Amino acid sequence: MGFEVETVIKIAAYTGGGIAMGLGAVGAAIGEGYTAARANLAISRNPEISGDIFKSMLVGQAVAESASIFALVIAILLLFMDAATPSLLKAAAFLGAGLSMGFGAIGSGIGSGYPGGEACFGISQQPAADSQLTTNMLIGSAVCQTPAIFSMVVALMLIFIDFGNAPLTPTWAAFIGAGLSMGLAAIGSGYGGGLAAGASCEGIARSPQSVTNVTTIMLVGQAVSQTPSIFGLLISFILMFKSFPESSMLATPMALLGAGLCMGFGGIGPGIGNGMAAEGAVRWVARNVEHSNELMRIMLVGQAVSQSTAIYAMVVSLVLIFVV
Amino acid sequence: MEAVKQVQKKYATRALTLSIIVGLLFILMGQKSIGKGLVLGTVFSVLNFILMGQSIRWKLGHSKAKTLSIAMGSIFFRYLLLAIPLIVAIRFEQFHLVAAVLGIFMIQLVILADHIRTLIPSIRRKQI
Repeated sequence: MGFEVETVIKIAAYTGGGIAMGLGAVGAAIGEGYTAARANLAISRNPEISGDIFKSMLVGQAVAESASIFALVIAILLLFMDAATPSLLKAAAFLGAGLSMGFGAIGSGIGSGYPGGEACFGISQQPAADSQLTTNMLIGSAVCQTPAIFSMVVALMLIFIDFGNAPLTPTWAAFIGAGLSMGLAAIGSGYGGGLAAGASCEGIARSPQSVTNVTTIMLVGQAVSQTPSIFGLLISFILMFKSFPESSMLATPMALLGAGLCMGFGGIGPGIGNGMAAEGAVRWVARNVEHSNELMRIMLVGQAVSQSTAIYAMVVSLVLIFVV
Repeated sequence: MEAVKQVQKKYATRALTLSIIVGLLFILMGQKSIGKGLVLGTVFSVLNFILMGQSIRWKLGHSKAKTLSIAMGSIFFRYLLLAIPLIVAIRFEQFHLVAAVLGIFMIQLVILADHIRTLIPSIRRKQI
């Protein structure tokens, strides 16, 4: 049974749209649920300021929801846009776009729920630090969205860029690999960034005078936690923009697909690990501000070591793209 | 719940005012579709934010099963609502797609801008 090109594009676009929104809804829902759960705990501890806690919960959830709105944008584009240049390659690009956005929104959605929840709980402990906690929560949540934004950028490129006369094989695998590399690598970074941001809200509630040190270390820790997703972005760009010669062998497309999977899966652990290192540093800086420099140094060394597995994954991906 | 209402009012008013001013500027510069797309996206972003707060009130005082169905229904409805400006912008050229996408993030942008605006003077004060 043969299909026309238009039909194959529609199948890919609908599947990609379903993956983008289906997976994209998972993270934000968990993150928003966590925020609400902590808000409940906070209100039960300090019911007199339930209004302030409700307010922070709402604002925190509104920002945490961004990741799923990115997914919604990509899903709607895939469902309703007509391909300018219909080709089988475009079908692969649409599927890659869905994978990039769907997986890419999971970590950011869950991660940005942590600062929201900890800010609500912190307000119940330190009502006077309401403003500092809300500001810190919003900055932390916004940084958590970065991997989801990278995923959306890759998805938009796959949807809108005209890749001209690139050969169908092996380029189809490069596009799907690009989506997988970016989407999967974003999971760990988004989640890890959330761990650091959550700990910083907890720290500020415990010791409001440490806000400057805590926020600085949170931002440094989050920035390093984003590195695996930047590696994922790099491999995605190489897969999208490197021109591959036409090949009839199955091994070539599988090598490109493998490169995307390698970087994608390889980026999950380091992103979470880096976030844990940052979470620890931020939490203890709030209790021990005088030693913030030592704590930051240990955090950075720990993150560098945790990062090494993402570097191995990137090296193997580059070998699969350029050597195999 | 009054605090929630006040927060919604504050950010909804700011988001709408900002989008109308920026939208008008674009329209005056001859970029009608950008201005219209931005306002369209913002209107639905504000509606979504208002529904987020309202649904908290609707969920209170019901049985567990009814609360769950209201919660699920409100999420489904809010996502449907946010899809409308995107579909309209894809289908009709009068609305710029990128501007409509920016519009649906207007509430989030206003919330972040508001807190960053208050953060900068407090950092400066500490440095002095």
